[in-house]
Amino acid sequence: MVDTIVFAACTAVYLLATMLLGYLGYRHTKAADDYMVAGRRVSSVILGLSYGATFISTSAIVGFGGMAALYGTGLIWLTVLNIGMGVLIAFIVFGKRTREIGHRLGAVTFPDLLGRRFNSPFMQYATGVMILIAMPLYCAAIIIGGAWFIHTTFNLDYVVSLLGFALITAAYVVMGGLIAVMYTDAMQGVLMLVGMTLLLVLTFVSLGGVEQGFTSLSNLSPQIPAFLQNGGLHSWTAMPDTGSSIWFTLVTTIVMGVGIGVLAQPQLSVRFLCARDERSINRAVSVGGPFLLMMTGVAFTVGPLTNVWFWNNTGQTAFAAAGNNVDNIIPLYINSAMPELFVVIFMLVLLAAAMSTLSSIFHTMGTTAGYDLYRHIAKRDVPSKRVAQLGTVLMIVVSVALALVMPSNIIARATAMFMGLCACAFLPVLTYALYSRAPLALPAKLSLVVGALSWFLWTVFVHTAEAAQLGICKALFGQVTLLGAPFNVIDPLIVGLPLATVTLVVGIAAANAWPRDSSLAQT
Amino acid sequence: MLGIDDPMIVLGYALSIGLAVACGLYGWSKRTGEETDG
Repeated sequence: MVDTIVFAACTAVYLLATMLLGYLGYRHTKAADDYMVAGRRVSSVILGLSYGATFISTSAIVGFGGMAALYGTGLIWLTVLNIGMGVLIAFIVFGKRTREIGHRLGAVTFPDLLGRRFNSPFMQYATGVMILIAMPLYCAAIIIGGAWFIHTTFNLDYVVSLLGFALITAAYVVMGGLIAVMYTDAMQGVLMLVGMTLLLVLTFVSLGGVEQGFTSLSNLSPQIPAFLQNGGLHSWTAMPDTGSSIWFTLVTTIVMGVGIGVLAQPQLSVRFLCARDERSINRAVSVGGPFLLMMTGVAFTVGPLTNVWFWNNTGQTAFAAAGNNVDNIIPLYINSAMPELFVVIFMLVLLAAAMSTLSSIFHTMGTTAGYDLYRHIAKRDVPSKRVAQLGTVLMIVVSVALALVMPSNIIARATAMFMGLCACAFLPVLTYALYSRAPLALPAKLSLVVGALSWFLWTVFVHTAEAAQLGICKALFGQVTLLGAPFNVIDPLIVGLPLATVTLVVGIAAANAWPRDSSLAQT
Repeated sequence: MLGIDDPMIVLGYALSIGLAVACGLYGWSKRTGEETDG
């Protein structure tokens, strides 16, 4: 059991540092530009750490680490996509153009960037509405993850944990805007880096080294639960059988859904609008890549290896030891297998991961409500710090209310859903906005609508994982999904993203074939 | 290799580490580049 005084002292120091950085952000926030895009003067190290810390939530470590304990080391392919797409492509292909175009157009949010680039109010408010519908669900999932962690660690009442966690994070976001968010992100990122490095080292030490650890994991293959064996998984150090249900879940939902979805996430894209110059983005790549390797790479390695530790010490697999709840596996492993001081450090890592993601999402939702929508409702073009703050408060209230009523086992699923929707609705449009010399609004509008709609329909009526939880298909048609295998295990992203891309390409081709003075070419 | 059953997993690890190193080298190579402001 962890010493309560040590734990309380470390937590107090962490919270004090967070509030101090939040206060620094508040002191540096004078105008709306400071509040919304950190004055466009963020350096490379802060940019890289803030991007990484926002990217990695408790869900990535606890939720997906737990999934790795269940599905095995195949999740390492998500790390490949996290670094390849989430850093290299995101920064070099998307980031530099986002900063350059955003700076030229004076864009201060992701919807604002699309609206100005396509010279289309629809693109701004439609993107804004989508963010305000989908992001509170993702936000609520992160609040739930953080609240559960505080509830179990500090033995506090769950509702008190939830409200306290949300309020502390809200305080520095509302007052200090994006400068406070990015300063605290950077500190939290360093803490996460130290904690995950220690976790990897201590895990391999406890299992007798790298080769011994993986060999023991491979030898546990006969102990893989029957439902996984029947689904196509026969070793925790091998990919599932190609085409099996677990293969589809692993490859389409976890690896591709999350790996590709990261490219068009509004709360990450806005980071590029804050960069001081192009060189800051280039140099931030050297921070972001290794950071993500040490976050997801470690989580997806330690996750499966927890099976070895639990088998050696309890005679059970990790899933069974954690009461058949994947979200319990990593916390249980840390509490059972790690030295006392590390338990304290890791708990702060999880708190940092949750707060860094939550603060960015609060900020993105707030600026979307307080600027992107408000400017259309109030017919006011100039961004206002005060209105953005009010928007942030409003969206925090909505998210906390949702978190209080949503089920607790939705963390990883809500993350994958949010990223899938972002990819389907925004990725083709964003790519077009950044790489076309004169982008046309109508093909972009069609692509946005088709991407979002196809993702929604597949999620509600076909993909079992979400359709069963939502229950809409069952209520309307008396069956969980409208299509059977293998369609019901193919992630909505695999359907929605190609449809949105084809819509965009066909729309552009049609516009180009049309006479130049037609409404289609000019819309 | 390293007690891992499937070469695809080893490839996944190799690519992850390789890409992280590539990120480091990319940023390092740009450390003295000119500042551009759009």
